Amino acid sequence: MWVFIVGDLLMFALFFGAFVYYRAQDPALYIESQATLNQGFGAINTVLLLTSSWFVVGAVQDTRGQRAGQACTRIILALLCGAGFIAVKFFEYREKISAGITLTSNDFYMYYYMLTGIHLLHVVIGMGVLIFLWRLARQSALHHSTASHESVISHFESGASFWHLVDMLWIFLFALLYLMK
Amino acid sequence: MNTRIQMLCTWCGPAFVAMFTVGFWWLAHYLPPPSPNASAADIAALYQQNTGQIRFGMLLMMACSALVAPFVAVISVQMKRMEGSAGVLTYTQLSAGTVGILFLILPALLWTVAAFRPERDPNLILLLNDLGWIFFLMPFGTFVVQNLAIGIAILASSGPQVLPRWAGYFNLWVAVLFIPGGLLTFFKTGPFAWDGLFVFWVPLVVFFLWYGAMFVLLRQTIARTTPASAAA
Repeated sequence: MWVFIVGDLLMFALFFGAFVYYRAQDPALYIESQATLNQGFGAINTVLLLTSSWFVVGAVQDTRGQRAGQACTRIILALLCGAGFIAVKFFEYREKISAGITLTSNDFYMYYYMLTGIHLLHVVIGMGVLIFLWRLARQSALHHSTASHESVISHFESGASFWHLVDMLWIFLFALLYLMK
Repeated sequence: MNTRIQMLCTWCGPAFVAMFTVGFWWLAHYLPPPSPNASAADIAALYQQNTGQIRFGMLLMMACSALVAPFVAVISVQMKRMEGSAGVLTYTQLSAGTVGILFLILPALLWTVAAFRPERDPNLILLLNDLGWIFFLMPFGTFVVQNLAIGIAILASSGPQVLPRWAGYFNLWVAVLFIPGGLLTFFKTGPFAWDGLFVFWVPLVVFFLWYGAMFVLLRQTIARTTPASAAA
């Protein structure tokens, strides 16, 4: 999983680097366009993902402590936060698109849609990973699992790491796109 | 016997990459790609000035693309070992990988047509050039599915490890990095155009890395094959 995480970080580093590079060539345009972004939505999303990561951390601890039932609950809560993020994104995109702002409106918006879009894809994939973790925990809780405790923990930690990556990427994204002047 | 032919087939991977690079870069000078923003006159001039080299380069690219087939086949044979018998992921990889060969041959063919009568109306040459590049870089679906199949098969395999787990994550990463290619339809300049960072250069690097890694890993696992496990 670390191979994927490092690789993904590299890719996003490239994205962020490209954004910063092109921004330096026309800062006025970028700042002006940035002003149209809904920072409220961005902040809510940040809180949602941070909360979901907190739940995931708890779930990992529960798994280590063999409290699989509690792990299940925490994962569900994390999933709800993730769903909330996706919902907010839906409203945010809708707000932009109905104002006529699309992928090709200008360079800033290209990066905005591209970066948040690819991140959103990661969130969706992350939700899939969380569901997988939920099933893992559930099997453990019902004592249906034949896997060793160590392997369950290992899988759990891998999945959790991916979700934390998704969260971390959003923090950078939020700072870079929404806040950085 | 089986292992020896498999080893031979793994060589088809690097052979394809080497020949394709010679044709694409050294002969046809397609690296860096011509800008999608270039005028018809500029593009026509490219085909008129480099006609012979483009023809040679494209011929080479077209011919060596078929070498991908045995490479895909070797991967399929090893995936069969991962799945226990020829399973769904094996077939997915085989079909997606095979269809992917088309997206290597067809662009070369289209560019050949452009170079066939370079005295044509420049707008027609532009059209053929566009067709070639879009055919070459936009269809990311089959490559994504192919790499996903390999990645999932590796990560989900429960028996003896045919390919290492990190290779599973690596294939997933490769799959994700081909996706931005689809965005070239919206842009004529910038990092998402067909000569851009995320549509051309990143997939190019990833492409090389994938062939290199798979070549080494396949050879390692084939060498470890005993007659008993090969019969599975």
